Amino acid sequence: MPKRKLDPLPAAAFQILLSLADEDLHGYGIMRQVEQQTNGRTRLGPGTLYSSIQGLVEEGLIEEVDRKTDAETDAERRRYYRLTSSGRKVARAEAERLADLLRVARAKKILRGEYV
Amino acid sequence: MSERVLALLVRLYPAAFRQKYREEALQLYRDRLRDERGLVRKLRLYCDLLEDAVTGLPLAWRNSYKDARTAPTIADLSGIPSFGVLKQEPLRPGSVAMGSLFSVVALVAFGLVMRLPLPHRFPNSGGALSPVEAVLERLNRVVSPATSSGSGGDGSASTVNGGSSQTRATVRPESRRAAATEKPLTVQERDQVIRAVGENLTARYFDRQKAEAAFQKLRALRKQGAYDRVVDGSTLAQRLTEDIRSATGDFHLIVVYSRNAIPSAARTQPSMAEIKQYRAMLIKENCSVEKAEILPGNIGYLKFNSFPDLTVCGATLQKAMESVGRADAVIFDLRDNTGGFPETVADVAAPLFDHTVPWYNPRATQSVTTLSPEAASRLANKPVYILSSSRTLSGAEQFTYNLKMLKRATVIGETTGGGGHVGTFHRLDEHFGMGMAETKITNPYGAPDWDGVGVEPDVKVKSADALEAAEKMAGRRVRP
Repeated sequence: MPKRKLDPLPAAAFQILLSLADEDLHGYGIMRQVEQQTNGRTRLGPGTLYSSIQGLVEEGLIEEVDRKTDAETDAERRRYYRLTSSGRKVARAEAERLADLLRVARAKKILRGEYV
Repeated sequence: MSERVLALLVRLYPAAFRQKYREEALQLYRDRLRDERGLVRKLRLYCDLLEDAVTGLPLAWRNSYKDARTAPTIADLSGIPSFGVLKQEPLRPGSVAMGSLFSVVALVAFGLVMRLPLPHRFPNSGGALSPVEAVLERLNRVVSPATSSGSGGDGSASTVNGGSSQTRATVRPESRRAAATEKPLTVQERDQVIRAVGENLTARYFDRQKAEAAFQKLRALRKQGAYDRVVDGSTLAQRLTEDIRSATGDFHLIVVYSRNAIPSAARTQPSMAEIKQYRAMLIKENCSVEKAEILPGNIGYLKFNSFPDLTVCGATLQKAMESVGRADAVIFDLRDNTGGFPETVADVAAPLFDHTVPWYNPRATQSVTTLSPEAASRLANKPVYILSSSRTLSGAEQFTYNLKMLKRATVIGETTGGGGHVGTFHRLDEHFGMGMAETKITNPYGAPDWDGVGVEPDVKVKSADALEAAEKMAGRRVRP
């Protein structure tokens, strides 16, 4: 698995991978999706967002897909991004790592049982 | 924050990044701007952008952009200069460290160079004086050819510190003596100097009776052998000074010995080029008017670092005085003022009075002088403060002393330098000279002046704190 630069996986990169799990999105869509899935705590700025995207593309975890227009912004041609299979694997590995941590936290009674 | 700021921020990113994502980054910003309305959300957006600049930049530079097209980046923004990156790689930490080091070295080197004195040498300054001082010093020695009926045509004299311009003296044409720097004085040389001192006194000193008495005393002492054991020049000068002072009771008389040859009249005359240079220098230095401004509370503040020649600087000084003409109090900062022309001192002081006052000028050519006020000066009844330091000298001390004696100013700071004023300087021969007053000057204030002791301030504070103290005092007087 190509995991040089993104090991450990930065939080922003992991969030982007997660946001693309269901559907292909463009940059702004990713930003909104990340905001949603973190309850508004993480709003990726343009620099962070596109730098992370570039990093993920370079590592082959996501890929660009050209799609012409959508209803709101028909004049613009935006890049959409799709999760690759290796991206999905990396996301799963990261999720499992976090789940392990979670188990530890719960065993140490730092976290109660109401989450996951 | 406008989109333009963001566009500038984007320019900090690698060229390949900009090429690929610039439009989309801007679009993202526009989208958020469109969707997030209300002041709080707008502010949040701006905060996000600032934060993003910090977190996003390192990320962007870490990427390799391998699959990005490597077209030249100049086409990126037309007309706006930007760095072209030949190799699409982030800067290595070593390069950044070297760059920082070189910047610091260059900055330190520049600082050191700026501290060096001017590499300029002016004739006769011997390197000890700054260029301005050298030229001033040179010009202040006004010389005219000997007119006396004394003992020969080749005499010479000059005034020290630029006082009266008509000066004459006689010196015996004996001074072909070999440099006596190391050699002890011969009997003949010693007698010649003693005789020259006596003759100069009787010919020039304002009180002929006392001069004659001193002359007789010197002759008597010489005959008694009082000087027989004096073999070096400085001791002789000191002894002669003591003797003529005790004979006349005038403590401004002085005989000096100089190891280096004292220049004769022909060589002390400033050339036209030097005069021109001096004028240009004065104008370039704004006639040594360092500051002329109004401080809070309508307090005028003038920092004069000399009292320069009126013929060159009259207009500049007048302008400076006018700039504080409507102030409620005036502070004269003379802490770095080393003196200048007595005429200028009087000219600057004149607007501070509305009636004629006795004016002490130890270098005047007539016995008693007065200062006539300017018509309708608004400053005549305004409080005046003078800032003094141990660097305040000569003409600046005259200004300080006179205004203090006239109770016209409050002097704040340190005791002034106590520059001497010996009157007119006469060259006796290559190594001896003497200073004496040719006009009897009455001190109208009846108190000892600053010669050798300086002017005591009314308020003693460190010179560095004088301005603050003056501002406080002036502020209280202006708005009680």
